[in-house]
Amino acid sequence: MHKNTAASLALALGAAFTIAATPTAAIAASNSSQEKCYGVALKGKNDCQAGAGTTCAGTSKSDYQSNAWSLVPKGTCIKTVSKTSSTGYGRLKAFKTKKS
Amino acid sequence: MNAQFFEALLDPGLLPPAGLTTWNSSDPAARFAVYRNNVIVSLIDALADTYPVTQALVGEEFFRAMARLFVRQEPPRSRVLAFYGESFPAFIETFPPAASVPYLADIARLEMLRVQAYHAADAIELPADVIAQSIARIDELPELRIKFQPSVGILCSPYAVVSLWAAHQGITDISTVDPDVPENALILRPQLDIEVIRLTNGASSFIALLLQGKSLGAAHEAASLAADFDLTDILGLLIQTQAISSMKIH
Repeated sequence: MHKNTAASLALALGAAFTIAATPTAAIAASNSSQEKCYGVALKGKNDCQAGAGTTCAGTSKSDYQSNAWSLVPKGTCIKTVSKTSSTGYGRLKAFKTKKS
Repeated sequence: MNAQFFEALLDPGLLPPAGLTTWNSSDPAARFAVYRNNVIVSLIDALADTYPVTQALVGEEFFRAMARLFVRQEPPRSRVLAFYGESFPAFIETFPPAASVPYLADIARLEMLRVQAYHAADAIELPADVIAQSIARIDELPELRIKFQPSVGILCSPYAVVSLWAAHQGITDISTVDPDVPENALILRPQLDIEVIRLTNGASSFIALLLQGKSLGAAHEAASLAADFDLTDILGLLIQTQAISSMKIH
């Protein structure tokens, strides 16, 4: 058993090494179960946030707790979200404290 | 004074701390309210920077209302804002209004793993001959412990997290994504760009076991139980993405 495991590991590692050393086109073809998604590098974040955080826009004292609990997610990707969320889109209208 | 100031900062229902004065004899309560608002809004903005897809999925209003509650409940413990909101996915998971978007927490987990990969230490290159030497010492192969680059993370989800995330990068069409298909993700940063790669169940449990410190042989044996496990595939991917930093006995 141990010998078999070692042998199969060696075989797989050897094959993997060969595959990885060949141009990427070959990988893409042989690896249909894997999909590569290149991400967009995140912009650097400072410890100090400028922008919206530095405005004096709203000084509301309203309690968001009660508002939030009546909120129902609204999807910008309606096609995705609608499958699971079925109630109360209209309630979003009552919530006017955007970026307060 | 400090504790009172801190609590009043997070809770608009509380009175401003006693003893505040203003240079122009304006109302200290009004000035404090401005400061409080700036603190909360800047932290919500920080969360929005870290979780753009999470925000896109529920819309800005919902996201900001949810983030506001989180900020009050878990204010930063560190001066470093980059990792602020590490527990936001767990908060989302137990936040009843978000329950109608069941994959939201896992999307947030994916986004936090990307932030962590972004800030992780750079990859240590595996010397080219290490793999060849490992193959040569065939008897030792099952005992090998594989270490990964600091940026490597995996996420196993009952939802199509990779496809949903990719749809928001313009990589796939959102209308073709079924959110209820389980997906696993490998997140890493080989050079300067973060990669998000979908893994089979077998591949993700293989990596998870190796991350736990299991030997190559033990991880292989356990992962082989998954019908979709292909050892050559996953090793090829790990080598190609330079995910491995060392292969040693012990």
